[in-house]
Amino acid sequence: MTLVMVVDDDQDLAEMLGIVLTGAGIDVDLVSRGDEVLEVFRNNPPDLVLLDVMLPGLDGIEVCKLIRAESMVPIVMLSAKGDSHDVVRGLEAGADDYMVKPFRHPSELIARIRTRLRRTNADISGLLVIGDLSIDVTAHEVSRAGKKIALTRLEFDLLVALAKEPGRVFTRDALLGEVWGYRHSTDTRLVNVHVQRLRSKVEHDPEHPQIIMTVRGVGYKAGVLGGS
Amino acid sequence: MNRNIFSFRNSLASKVIFSTVLLSLGVVWLTGSALYSQLSDGVKQVNLETSLAEARSSFFNAQYEFLLVKGANTKIITETVQEIIISSTEVSLNQDRKSIFLSRFGQSADPLGTEIAPDYSTATDELDISSFPTELRQRVRASDIVEYKYATVKYKNRADANVLIAGRRIAIPESGNYEMYLVYSLTNQNTTLSLIKSSLLFTGLALLFLIGLITWLVVRQVVRPVREAARIAQQFTEGDFSQRMKVESSDEIATLGTAFNEMALSLESQITRLENLSRVQQRFVSDVSHELRTPLTTLRMASEVIYSAKASFDPNIARSSELLVAQLDRFEKLLEDLLEVSRFDAEVAVLEPVEFDLVRLIERCIEDVRANAHDHTISVEIDHETEQVMVRADFRRVERIMRNLLSNALDHADEKPIHVSVVATATEVGVGVRDFGPGMDPAALSRVFDRFWRADPSRARVRGGTGLGLSIALEDARLHNGELDAWGALGQGAHFVLTLPLIAGSQISGRPIRPQPKDYPQPI
Repeated sequence: MTLVMVVDDDQDLAEMLGIVLTGAGIDVDLVSRGDEVLEVFRNNPPDLVLLDVMLPGLDGIEVCKLIRAESMVPIVMLSAKGDSHDVVRGLEAGADDYMVKPFRHPSELIARIRTRLRRTNADISGLLVIGDLSIDVTAHEVSRAGKKIALTRLEFDLLVALAKEPGRVFTRDALLGEVWGYRHSTDTRLVNVHVQRLRSKVEHDPEHPQIIMTVRGVGYKAGVLGGS
Repeated sequence: MNRNIFSFRNSLASKVIFSTVLLSLGVVWLTGSALYSQLSDGVKQVNLETSLAEARSSFFNAQYEFLLVKGANTKIITETVQEIIISSTEVSLNQDRKSIFLSRFGQSADPLGTEIAPDYSTATDELDISSFPTELRQRVRASDIVEYKYATVKYKNRADANVLIAGRRIAIPESGNYEMYLVYSLTNQNTTLSLIKSSLLFTGLALLFLIGLITWLVVRQVVRPVREAARIAQQFTEGDFSQRMKVESSDEIATLGTAFNEMALSLESQITRLENLSRVQQRFVSDVSHELRTPLTTLRMASEVIYSAKASFDPNIARSSELLVAQLDRFEKLLEDLLEVSRFDAEVAVLEPVEFDLVRLIERCIEDVRANAHDHTISVEIDHETEQVMVRADFRRVERIMRNLLSNALDHADEKPIHVSVVATATEVGVGVRDFGPGMDPAALSRVFDRFWRADPSRARVRGGTGLGLSIALEDARLHNGELDAWGALGQGAHFVLTLPLIAGSQISGRPIRPQPKDYPQPI
């Protein structure tokens, strides 16, 4: 059974989230303080973390950084603030996705969680090569010259989405649909922040990307130049 | 700075220096002229007295000599005349030139006329006797004392000269009465006078220059703090409130500095206070946002859980759950709008411009609004001249403007079609949303952007608008440096026109779409 860790200081909301998730067949681990998260996380590693930004003890952003330091588990931030400043801060701290309270529908939350848990790109398998990177889709591994590069699941999905069709230009909207499972969202910041993070891991020089290229005014594409 | 000092129109210093020098010029001119006329009068007087005294002595000497030789023979008298001529024309140290002129007049000395008396008339230095003033000669002939006159005389071998002529009647024995003239050249005196004149002129000019210099130094002392104050005020305008004037003394300038600094301090504290107020407001908005949203999230999830199970409830409870969900929707929307309005009021709303295709956005908004509309009978047509209009603007805000305009039009369309038009120019883009509903009278038109104002209180709540949509749309448009105009006429429908710069923040230079629709007045 899937286990989701819900970190929120509001007891009622946490309980309600528990009810909704349990109803969808997901096990829930409730944590109400930021400084308790790591201990629970280590004792019982969840499949996904639902993390509120404002937490007593330790700020959600900090918690996110701590989890990311030791795990590639999907993290979805819950934010009561729509202000992009907090959203971008959360994404930069390592969150894969975020949801702004109040959610339109509980089903939306469940859909997001399922997207993050789903094994995307299940249709392809084997080895993809892009530039001097080799991507083993089956084993979920990326390596350069035999050296493994650690990516989060979302970063891996984003890279595979681009790499499976090298040279094709993906709009940000298309990537939001493919990788994040959004039907129509307009928040392209999600894509921008994650492309930046992915670049910092896979590019030789993130300032002059060779693997994930920006197509001005349109979106991104994977570089088609042959590898070394 | 120096360049500024000498640019007359812009500089206090140059104005002051100019007027000071001008006034000083007058004063120096007057005093210089007075001084010169006094000095020249004195020099002339002294010269005249010396010359006349010498002339008197010469005349006396001549009279005495001729008295001594009275009755002597012609030869001795002739020698005496020669001696007198030589001794009288001897030039003393500070004299330039002295000439003598003897001329017999009247009858000869021998009343009997038995012998023709010798005539000793003569003139030295090639004097042109005809240039002698006749008035002086008449006076000399008639007088017994020394007569004098300033005159210009001619020389046969030299240039004319200004001279002093002193003359007296002299009797030469055995010959008759003579006019004897001594002619003193005034060259030396004139040299002295022109020396005095040029010294005065030079002194005057030097004085003027010094006055100018001193004025500049003094004025600079006064002007420097003023310039300093102006510079600091300029920096205040640019938002740097840390600058203060230096106060080094206790004069009026220091008073200016102190007063200026007090003003600066007061301004700085006022601004800090306002900034704090704004920050408090922002914090409050943020806190309210957080505190309300968390329970609202719980409420919404709970209501959804109940709603999803409504099939198993009895009809009243099922309907209640529907109402619960719907009203929570409305509540949430109202909360969002209120928070947005308070963000505008606190001036903390920020623009997050990205590049996107406005036409695509509008098409999507139309689809969404149409899908959400309770009746799908209303048609929305879009008319755009170009396939796409790329703009750099805040996507979320533009989307919100379009949704607000479209749902407002749908609310008032009376099931008649809605027409959306897009026209872009090189610098801005206009979006018009036209409905053909009941329209508005001028009074309604003037209030259409007011918060919570409804054209017709009895009908507008049908679709659950918050009453804040249009006023937020206006603020959103203005945040882009754009504009939102409304047009309406009773029975003719309404036309809302959004004008946005293609690049958010730049100025709009016109309206690609005029608020008054092309189809108005419509032929009925």
